[in-house]
Amino acid sequence: MKRTVASAPRLLLWLWLAAVIVGAFEYAPLAAKFIGQSSRILFFHVPMAWAAFTAFITAGVYSLLYLFGRRPPGSLRQARHDRAARAAIEVGLLFGVLATVTGAVWSRIMWGAYWNWDPRQTSIVMALIFYGAYLALRDSVEDAEKRARLAAAYAALGLVVTPFFFFVVPRITFSLHPEPVINARGRIEMNPRMLQVLLASGAGFTALFFWLHDLRTRVLTLAERALEAAAAGAYPADAANVASALGARASAAPHPNPSDPRGAGAADPVAPSPRTSNW
Amino acid sequence: MSRPASTWVREAAAVFAKEWRSELRTRYALNTLALFAINTLVVVSASLGPLGAAPGKGSEALPVLLWLILLFAAAAGLPRSFVHEEETQTATALRLAATPSALFCGKLAYALTLLAALEALVAPLFLAVMNLDVARPGLLVATLAAGGFGLAAGSTLVAAIIAQARGKGTLFAVLSFPVLLPLLLLAVELTRGAFAGAPPGVALVQLLLYDGAVTTAGLMLFPVVWNP
Repeated sequence: MKRTVASAPRLLLWLWLAAVIVGAFEYAPLAAKFIGQSSRILFFHVPMAWAAFTAFITAGVYSLLYLFGRRPPGSLRQARHDRAARAAIEVGLLFGVLATVTGAVWSRIMWGAYWNWDPRQTSIVMALIFYGAYLALRDSVEDAEKRARLAAAYAALGLVVTPFFFFVVPRITFSLHPEPVINARGRIEMNPRMLQVLLASGAGFTALFFWLHDLRTRVLTLAERALEAAAAGAYPADAANVASALGARASAAPHPNPSDPRGAGAADPVAPSPRTSNW
Repeated sequence: MSRPASTWVREAAAVFAKEWRSELRTRYALNTLALFAINTLVVVSASLGPLGAAPGKGSEALPVLLWLILLFAAAAGLPRSFVHEEETQTATALRLAATPSALFCGKLAYALTLLAALEALVAPLFLAVMNLDVARPGLLVATLAAGGFGLAAGSTLVAAIIAQARGKGTLFAVLSFPVLLPLLLLAVELTRGAFAGAPPGVALVQLLLYDGAVTTAGLMLFPVVWNP
């Protein structure tokens, strides 16, 4: 029974996105001055970019919550915020890459080249590089608590730095990119039917992002829990392999870190890595 | 945090003095930065050849090279101030001795003076070797000052992050370049304007905003990066 209730929003999202696809091809008219059917990419490309943007903001918020959020007195920072931030960046990178690729395909049709360093292309690539660096940072810290703390600080720095890409880059180079949905004059100049489909698609993609984010966060939580249990000997080593394949990474340092006055061992709820004990 | 302001200033000044004292003992960063910058300058100038001498011809691309030299020289020398603390295990003593924000400001002031020295060495050499005329010297100095400040602030925070991770050298480049990219774009635009005689416009304001934003973020984030 509970499962049916839980899947109702999912079914609604599925129907909604199906309706958006139909609407994009059958209900919305073609935009003027676009080659062939290429303007229909608007209904997917723009919401993907929007979902990526939402994801990076979400990751920043969870990182700030991890660093500065309220916690019970004397207890540690809450690892679930860290997992949520990481999941948001992973899903955001997925949407960002999709937006870049769909944009490049459209650019090939309209401008004759997949890539021409248009300001929008430049800004999104810079954002992707920034959050790719975030994942690289996570991979190079072994202690779980330290990894979460440093990564959260870097993601919070991203909240400060990435807006500059969006202010600075478009001013420096000339853009061929179609005007934003709400243009510089503050008006929406778009066919009402196209606007309806675009807004519906934007809402659908935002919901899709939050659903994927929830799934990824839960997978990370479960994988970490499995790793913990495997390290305690509850499962055979295979379960630990599966868990680390799903993205859980326990602390590889079983001893307290000498540079950490409070002792990293105490700060880390996850048990020592199965890489050393079970493999 | 509730300590009086004079203690805070004294702590920051002590960190600054300690950085320079240990730097002058080994002269590691000074030598690395200066030699790295001069090497790159020689490579750039030799491979450009006579193009550097043609007035007007190279002034579009040359500001990019100037800032790339500064960026890579900074990446070679600046992370050491934190990496060294972790490697020699002096970080714990420093954690006990200084307030994080005072420590950050002391390290920032050290990076700032180091970069200012580097710019004072590299920029005139670059102009001389490339045979460039500067239409607006004041704007060039302002750009070097504001750009150097942002470079120091961004690098100091990222250096504090990577000092606690593995693969420090490459990781510093990976993490700091996306952070410093807006600064680089703005500084290149302004330097180009200074060579050509164009007014600074909104770019200088944006560069100063970037400096302010990164410094504020550094002051807020450094305590959590530094202390477990």
